[in-house]
Amino acid sequence: MSFALALTTLILFLAIGIWIAAILDALFYRRISGQGGVSVLSPFYAAAAHLSRQRLTTEAPDRLNWYLAIAGYLAIATIGLAVVPFGPETAVIGIKTSVVLWGACESLVVVLVFLHGWSPNSPLALIGAYRYVAIGLPIMLLSMFVLIAAALPARSLDLRDIVASQEGLWNVIRQPLGLPLFLLLGLSLTLRGPFDYADSADLAGGTSVEDSGANRAGWQVARLAMLVGFSAIAASTFLGGYLGPVLPGIVWLAIKTLILMAVVIGLSHLLARMPVARMLGLIWKFLLPIAFADLLLAGLVALA
Amino acid sequence: MTNLAFYTLSALAIWSGWRVFRVDSMIRATFALMVSFICVGGIALLMSADYIGIATVFMMAVEMTVMGLFMVMFMMNPAGLNPMQMVHQHRFSIGAGIAAFIGLTVAVLATNLPNNPLPAGRDTLHDLGVELLGGSMLIFETAGVTLLATMVGAVVLSSRRGRFGDSDAGAVPPGLQPGGQPAGRKVEKSGGHGGHGGDGSHDMNMNMKGAPKSDDAPHKGHGKMPEEES
Amino acid sequence: MTWMAKLALQAPVPVFVAQGDDAPAETTRLCLNSTLTIVETPRAAAILLVAGTIPASLVQHLHRLHDQLPHPRATVFWQAGPSDLLSEAVTVGKDDNLVSVLTDTRNSLLYGSRGTEADLLPDAPPNEWCGVGSHGQGGKGMMGGTPYGRPMAMTAADFRDGLELDAYTADFGPFLPMFPSGLVLTLTLQGDVIQKVAVVHPPFAGEGNAGAALLRLLGLPALAKRLLRGPSDDADFKRLIRLSGVRAAIPPGLGCAPNGSDVRERFERLTTDPGNPSKVHVEGVGLGDLLIGLEWHEAMLVLNSFDNESLRAICANTSSPEPEEKNGDSMDHEGHAGHMS
Repeated sequence: MSFALALTTLILFLAIGIWIAAILDALFYRRISGQGGVSVLSPFYAAAAHLSRQRLTTEAPDRLNWYLAIAGYLAIATIGLAVVPFGPETAVIGIKTSVVLWGACESLVVVLVFLHGWSPNSPLALIGAYRYVAIGLPIMLLSMFVLIAAALPARSLDLRDIVASQEGLWNVIRQPLGLPLFLLLGLSLTLRGPFDYADSADLAGGTSVEDSGANRAGWQVARLAMLVGFSAIAASTFLGGYLGPVLPGIVWLAIKTLILMAVVIGLSHLLARMPVARMLGLIWKFLLPIAFADLLLAGLVALA
Repeated sequence: MTNLAFYTLSALAIWSGWRVFRVDSMIRATFALMVSFICVGGIALLMSADYIGIATVFMMAVEMTVMGLFMVMFMMNPAGLNPMQMVHQHRFSIGAGIAAFIGLTVAVLATNLPNNPLPAGRDTLHDLGVELLGGSMLIFETAGVTLLATMVGAVVLSSRRGRFGDSDAGAVPPGLQPGGQPAGRKVEKSGGHGGHGGDGSHDMNMNMKGAPKSDDAPHKGHGKMPEEES
Repeated sequence: MTWMAKLALQAPVPVFVAQGDDAPAETTRLCLNSTLTIVETPRAAAILLVAGTIPASLVQHLHRLHDQLPHPRATVFWQAGPSDLLSEAVTVGKDDNLVSVLTDTRNSLLYGSRGTEADLLPDAPPNEWCGVGSHGQGGKGMMGGTPYGRPMAMTAADFRDGLELDAYTADFGPFLPMFPSGLVLTLTLQGDVIQKVAVVHPPFAGEGNAGAALLRLLGLPALAKRLLRGPSDDADFKRLIRLSGVRAAIPPGLGCAPNGSDVRERFERLTTDPGNPSKVHVEGVGLGDLLIGLEWHEAMLVLNSFDNESLRAICANTSSPEPEEKNGDSMDHEGHAGHMS
């Protein structure tokens, strides 16, 4: 696959992914609340409704950072998807250290969500921003352990090699602790459900409380784009990415991404969110040791 | 192409570094510094140090977030409503700036910079790993363990549960004789403390002398330090 | 009419509900209607729905809220008379079909046949800039001061350990979606921890649905809807509640009332038997005893775990603030919108 073809695939993958994610989200919500079905065009209607309204601002906001946060979040999601190999040796960003690049993306998400809450100059948004950093940093540590563990059997920090190393056995079986922990990171990166400490209901929408019109639509699209990017990364790291019989690699990748997307959305609608201090205790005292055990196990297996 | 990227990144790094001192918001200054570092990381990438380049981006994003938060820690003074004076100690900083500039310029001009291009296809990542866990292992491990000990120490110091009881209950070391004066150095009441935290040290004086303040009791049940949870 | 507006017509009508006194009982169940979305911030709404009468003391807040809706916007008064400044707003009586009026109003806004409503208040700071620093900063050193006549946050000792953090005082309410309707509190926050609390206006007497409010706060809006719908499919609902881990999510002992019930226990009662919430004994308990020291999420859980009658009693027990502490009043004006008052 040439670079141009890979880039086109990436953009199509992202756009269709966002659309499907929006529908899945509405579908889960309506199933659980006991309502009827969802129109497949409903995301477009919602986007048009947002875009038809004015973009309001607050008094003395940090306007530059406000726009940068929204655009940057979308850009980071795209970069995340770009390191995912669509086939053997084919990724838009094919570098030896693509897992580290994804780690950098994760940490930039914390920065951008913080900026999104900081910029509007509004107390509820600011509280959301501070809270998100408190949760976002330890969750990132957790994902580092998990990703290093996944890189160990491949003996490489290249996502392409990590996928290739799962030819015989997927990482989800080889490292059973990895995927569940990584999914928690996904909930946090996409500001969803039990890890939604930035845009939660107790802050009337948190960091996005002041967004209206195109800004609101942009932030929601960026969140969904991050969901697509994350799911594709998780599918490549744990479910063997493009590997699979008969069908072309890209189709397998799409199927696995779709499954993980549905799992993340389902978890976000089904699990309750605990107060932030309790969650911090859970992460530092319980989840981080488990992540460390995952890394230890992977290391022992690699040595054996 | 590489030259163009190099000059663009360098210009952006210098420009955002300059912005750090010109903006009137702490957060903007912090993240301008982050952009500057990210550009330097990009330059490292151009020099085929791909791990170090990306790790710079990664580390700086985390570091600047933490630094920004510590600077403005729980500062409920968001964005641009109240612009801040970001530069102070003008005379000293101008002097330090000029001295550093001259020193670094001399260092750059005087050093005989090496010129040995990397052979194509060389696995720098592998080399770096061998270096970290090979010849220089002792240095890196010593530094790592020291840093870890520092972090543990910092957490212990900031913990609510102190050596002599809960910090909010007025922790007092036991006396040398039963019922005697608390042991340890007496904190003197002086006006010599810095601008920050004047009230804090005053509070500490109170706690060192007095018995645990009883009016803290009603709040105890709600104490929200994370380690209390679970 | 553009294709964009045509698409937007298909979307549900985004409504922000401002509940007044004696709001119609159906107000809490409006979100069950699939042609509406009840949004949590006025910035996401096209229509401001005023349900019930807004007392004279809170009308100012309503006007500020109104100006925070993006254009094109409209106001609909439901079973209430419009206020003087909003005389051209739509009014809906008891017997009219509210949902069709809301949809028609939204459609006419999009068609352009109905003009958007202008701002009620001037879009300007309440006072002139009066920074003192050479750099334009508000106060001494790097922070503090009263730019625009509003005192900015200044450090104060945290009551737990004396750590100097910024204390921020402002009024919150009365239309915040996570507050019981009508409640206005003056809160002093350090970060997201509540340091001081004073009641400006108690909640209205009407019954909300505390169980659904708690579920929404816990990040389970779909289950909240299900609870509002009624206990028709009980077993399924109970299973979902159990699976969601709500019991583990609510810290034990949170918001303990004198009779021993905490938020966890009250939540259990509210979701299993929403029809008759049993009374909580609240003699001598003020909001300060319940909220001070809690972080924001926990405080919201505690506030929403009481029935309105108990909460009104608790508010009555809360000592009124000293005047000089209430510097937040001047802070929540139109532009500084976070309070959504």
